[in-house]
Amino acid sequence: MRPLLRARLSRERLRPPPVILAIAFAALTGAALILASGHNPLNAYVEIVRGSLSPAAWPDTLNWATPLVGMALAAAIPLRGGMVNLGGDGQLVIGGLIGALAPVFLPVPGAVGAAAGLALAALGGGLYAALAAWGEVRHGVSMLISSLLLSYPAIGVTSYLARFPLRDVSTGLPQTMMIPPNARLPVLAEPLNAGSLLIAAIALAVIFIDRRTSAGYELRMRGKNSRFAGYGGVRLGPQAAWAMFFSGAVAGLVGATIVLGSQFRFIDGALLTPAYTWSGLMAALLASGEPVGTIAAALFFAALQTGGFAMQRETSVPRVLTLVLQAIVILFLAMRRGLGRRA
Amino acid sequence: MAEIAAIGIVKRFGGLVANDGVSISAERGEIHAVMGENGAGKTTLMSVLFGLLEPDAGEIRLRDVPVRFRSPIDAMRAGIGMVHQSFKLFDSLTVWENIVYGAEPARGLFIDRGAARGRVAELSERRRLAVDPDARVGDLSVGVRQRIEILKTLYRDARILILDEPTAVLTPPERDALFAVLKSLATDGRTILLVTHKLHEVTAITDRVTVLRDGRTIASLRTADTNAGEIVRAMTGRNVNLKMAKRAAPPGDAVLSADGVTIASSSGGRAVDHVSLTVRSGEIVGVAGVAGNGQNELIEALVGVRKPNAGQVSISGHDVTRADVATRRAVGLAYIPEDRAAVGSAPAAAAADNLAMGFHRRAPLASGPFINPSAFAAWARTLIRRFAIKIANERVNVGTLSGGNLQKIVVARELAHEAPALIAEQPTRGLDVAAAESIHAQIVAERDRGRAILLVSAELSEILALSDRVLVMFEGRILANLPREEADEHSVGLLMAGRGAEAA
Repeated sequence: MRPLLRARLSRERLRPPPVILAIAFAALTGAALILASGHNPLNAYVEIVRGSLSPAAWPDTLNWATPLVGMALAAAIPLRGGMVNLGGDGQLVIGGLIGALAPVFLPVPGAVGAAAGLALAALGGGLYAALAAWGEVRHGVSMLISSLLLSYPAIGVTSYLARFPLRDVSTGLPQTMMIPPNARLPVLAEPLNAGSLLIAAIALAVIFIDRRTSAGYELRMRGKNSRFAGYGGVRLGPQAAWAMFFSGAVAGLVGATIVLGSQFRFIDGALLTPAYTWSGLMAALLASGEPVGTIAAALFFAALQTGGFAMQRETSVPRVLTLVLQAIVILFLAMRRGLGRRA
Repeated sequence: MAEIAAIGIVKRFGGLVANDGVSISAERGEIHAVMGENGAGKTTLMSVLFGLLEPDAGEIRLRDVPVRFRSPIDAMRAGIGMVHQSFKLFDSLTVWENIVYGAEPARGLFIDRGAARGRVAELSERRRLAVDPDARVGDLSVGVRQRIEILKTLYRDARILILDEPTAVLTPPERDALFAVLKSLATDGRTILLVTHKLHEVTAITDRVTVLRDGRTIASLRTADTNAGEIVRAMTGRNVNLKMAKRAAPPGDAVLSADGVTIASSSGGRAVDHVSLTVRSGEIVGVAGVAGNGQNELIEALVGVRKPNAGQVSISGHDVTRADVATRRAVGLAYIPEDRAAVGSAPAAAAADNLAMGFHRRAPLASGPFINPSAFAAWARTLIRRFAIKIANERVNVGTLSGGNLQKIVVARELAHEAPALIAEQPTRGLDVAAAESIHAQIVAERDRGRAILLVSAELSEILALSDRVLVMFEGRILANLPREEADEHSVGLLMAGRGAEAA
């Protein structure tokens, strides 16, 4: 009902922003949990902040934030148009494996091998994600399902390749051959590497495309009302394919930057354990795919998670607490949005 | 003693006062019209009377006894029934199941099916509201569904019936039948509150009329002592020209045409059955018909969101049968869709974004792949001014606008395309007299500029007021192609109900 909506908007202006409320609420709940476990919440929080935001901690936080922001952008691109890519994990490992193999097997000098690895990883991740869009447009398979299901064979096949045909037989572990040092991404400030600059550049490009290009406008309108976009002359099929391609390409790039910048080989399972895909998806969902909000949320989660390691080190509060805090913030915000939608 | 009276009802939504001391009172056995422009507060008032909303101030009295409704259940217990504009029925259940739902005669723990069915059959016969108690509601026409809604209220022995724009979906014969039922219910001592936009209905069957404007009661008139002009003045606060100035247009070349278009329906039949039509430059061709007779599917095929199973569509001489929406728009098609909020706009987006659709890939809004936000804003301000859209600024989300102003957004954008062919589907549905008048004037002006206009409307008066030629659609076919002079409410009304099918 329209008057209700108007009333809600005017009331909303007087309230503190929901993000602040959510964080405050999460902090209070967390404090209660820490108290209950017999520790000092103030100490724990000080360590989280110091461990993530003090100048000495910046490289660590940013290094953790790089793949998280990257995967958040990968989720945000289709989400901006009302589509969901749940296959980030699959695209991530495809990119990671390609990034690990290109510099080892291509007969080119190191830096060119790294560049080729990044480009091919983006291409591979992108095409794999676009497959889900093709399934929906041509055959009516919901992208939500197909993108997720396509993820499993990708994870399985890359795992097989790393364990058997492409395994580095000089080690006993399921991992590919070491990337030669001259094909690795340059270090900026240990452990931060040039991959961060690449993701930062992509973030700026996504913001620019979203705000200042016709393609970005069409995607935004699709996200607000896909029937309106289609009626207005936007070609929805190709648009879905392109959005998924770029989403998968970013995910593939993230995989390749981790491999080329810090792990230096494809290690089975190593790209998936930190669950970047899912933290990134959460960040994107919180901001409804709006790029600046998505990046802010991803940075916040990264700081929280990095601070968690420090807190665990300095006090004996386990770092799982930060994941609890993250979950409460998300729940709180999601609840408010859900309530808002009903009116 | 008034059967039902509301005194000084105030209802606020945040800063917005939807009802600002509204009073209304209806006698026993009276048919009482409630009129007003969109946003005047009619729906809010009816929701308060039916217990859907609690008023912030004021009082409802039934036969002089103050009552308080916390929910529609309270209102129904007190003898108030409501027939909503969008029916609230279960498609997969039978007629009798729908009617007794929530008030089933019980035998122990079980529904007494025989008694329930029998009561429904008896009620339907006594009230001359013919329904088949065992039919599935999903198979029935809107007219019959409306009868079921009325029977639902009578089954609960409602003394007071509220009907929200009941004739919007009916053919003229169905409408006349409804009016006969309402009159007999009134004679029986029941009170009818009829929310409507249509002046001729008010003069045809009501005893009194209450006019709301800006959340206040402006007038309470005895229908016999008033006239259409006075009611419109009360509603709008000014004089409105009810008759459209028309000129006989000499039409030019064919611009939009369909040839043998056939579309299969989901149930296996034909939603559109060999439809051919031609719209020439400088003419308005009206497609009359009760909603659901294939108009939507036909339009979808013309616009390009659906591929016909057979037949051809062409625009300005180009065969566009296989072309998508973008191509058809490029060839020269503009389209005002039936559903302004679900199709014609993105309610959660700013006016500037809504008005830019279709203009966003060329100068001045874009250069190359880039868009220019200040050009978006300037373009929106131009259209807002030219079409007198009431909106604070171009950054406001259009979902907050009234129905009339949202429709103006859609109309402004589509007319700004200056496309040779225009399809206008239910362009004034749910709009008040003044807003409808302004959109009608714009459509006629477009015709006079030489555009070919296909007007689809379930509103016969709209078709007759604007069209140069009238096509009547029934069950997927075009039953008649009448020049304006030969089309009148009687002849077209019969065709809309499928009579004359044998002759055609």
